[in-house]
Amino acid sequence: MAKNLMDRSNDMYERLHESIKAKVTLTPEEKETIKHYFIPKKLRKRQYLLNAGDVCQYLAFVEKGLLRLFSTDDKSHEHVIQFAMEGWWASDMSSFLSGDDAQYNIEALEDSELLLLTNTTLEELMEKVPRMERYFRLLMQNNIVALRRRVTSTQSDSAEEKYKKLMKAYPDLINRSPQHDLASYLGITPETLSRIRKQISTKK
Amino acid sequence: MALKQTIAIIGATESAGSSIAKTLSRINDRLLLMGKDEEALEALRSNLIGSGATAEIEVNSCAKEACWEADVIIIATSNELDREVIDRIKEVAVGKVVVSISSPATRTYKAYAGSSETSAAEELQKLLPYSKVVKTFNTVFARDFKTSSIVNDTGEIFIAGNNSDALQVVSKLILSAGFIPIIVGDLSVSRRLETLRLHG
Repeated sequence: MAKNLMDRSNDMYERLHESIKAKVTLTPEEKETIKHYFIPKKLRKRQYLLNAGDVCQYLAFVEKGLLRLFSTDDKSHEHVIQFAMEGWWASDMSSFLSGDDAQYNIEALEDSELLLLTNTTLEELMEKVPRMERYFRLLMQNNIVALRRRVTSTQSDSAEEKYKKLMKAYPDLINRSPQHDLASYLGITPETLSRIRKQISTKK
Repeated sequence: MALKQTIAIIGATESAGSSIAKTLSRINDRLLLMGKDEEALEALRSNLIGSGATAEIEVNSCAKEACWEADVIIIATSNELDREVIDRIKEVAVGKVVVSISSPATRTYKAYAGSSETSAAEELQKLLPYSKVVKTFNTVFARDFKTSSIVNDTGEIFIAGNNSDALQVVSKLILSAGFIPIIVGDLSVSRRLETLRLHG
């Protein structure tokens, strides 16, 4: 497996460039320049990028792999707030922006390759390549919209509707994530998730 | 619970590298030992675990893979300016702390000994312009890499570097290994640090 990862190492920034291209156009020089601001970081399955209680130092772009963001309550129950797979960004934004202690943990669910920005390098990057400021603004806008939808869905959709929406939007995520994490993300019990999945498969 | 950092030691089975590995095995982070000789790597790992390492110890024979996983990279090969190694790790070392240790006991030292113009650490920074090079550990092991992993009587270790965040990271590392970090200035101070020998 190590060999495969090495073979695609020339494309360490492939997904990032795709993600940027979908929003803004960079010159070939700018595409090269931005590489100097991202810290390439490989995380093995079950390793953490962030522990709740620490200050979140990074805004992480996922080139490869899968992350989960989760909090832990007083009874040690985990609550998954977000997943991040290829082409997605992950961070405890309020901690990253304010410097307060993070509420969430970030853990790799698969061996992952990340590109990290710190607060300092994010600012430097946007100053050096101003088009990246537009990229991040559009990213934040989309994020607000997605968050709103998620809150609405959490409050008003049935468990089955929530699951179906997720399956439609991110079928890959459903196949790759552990069932208990998916259930936690949807705010339902693993038993309910299992029942829904059975119902859907028999309907087919 | 603080997050575990991954510290890669490139050239871990060489004399300077294994000495540093021994010293850092008492921290609570994760040590990634990199060397070309897989048998020697395994032997070093067993040795460290056998002597009560508190750090997680892992091995990897690929310099690029090791540096990709690392938060801190310590280049402990006898020639730290080896282009072949530098070229291999350059891309994955962007934004990371890279520690230069060359001293009178390593080969790189000879090329820059006594130069008032530059130092091995400054040359390393030129080759890795997007990494944060920090000079340290060199005076610790200068006398004899083989016998000891302990510093002078006072337990002080000098550090030089241009990036304040990187200096903090290395200071913390040295503190957690049980020594006293002394920040002595920017990377140009390496010209003096690299020729410094301890008495005794």
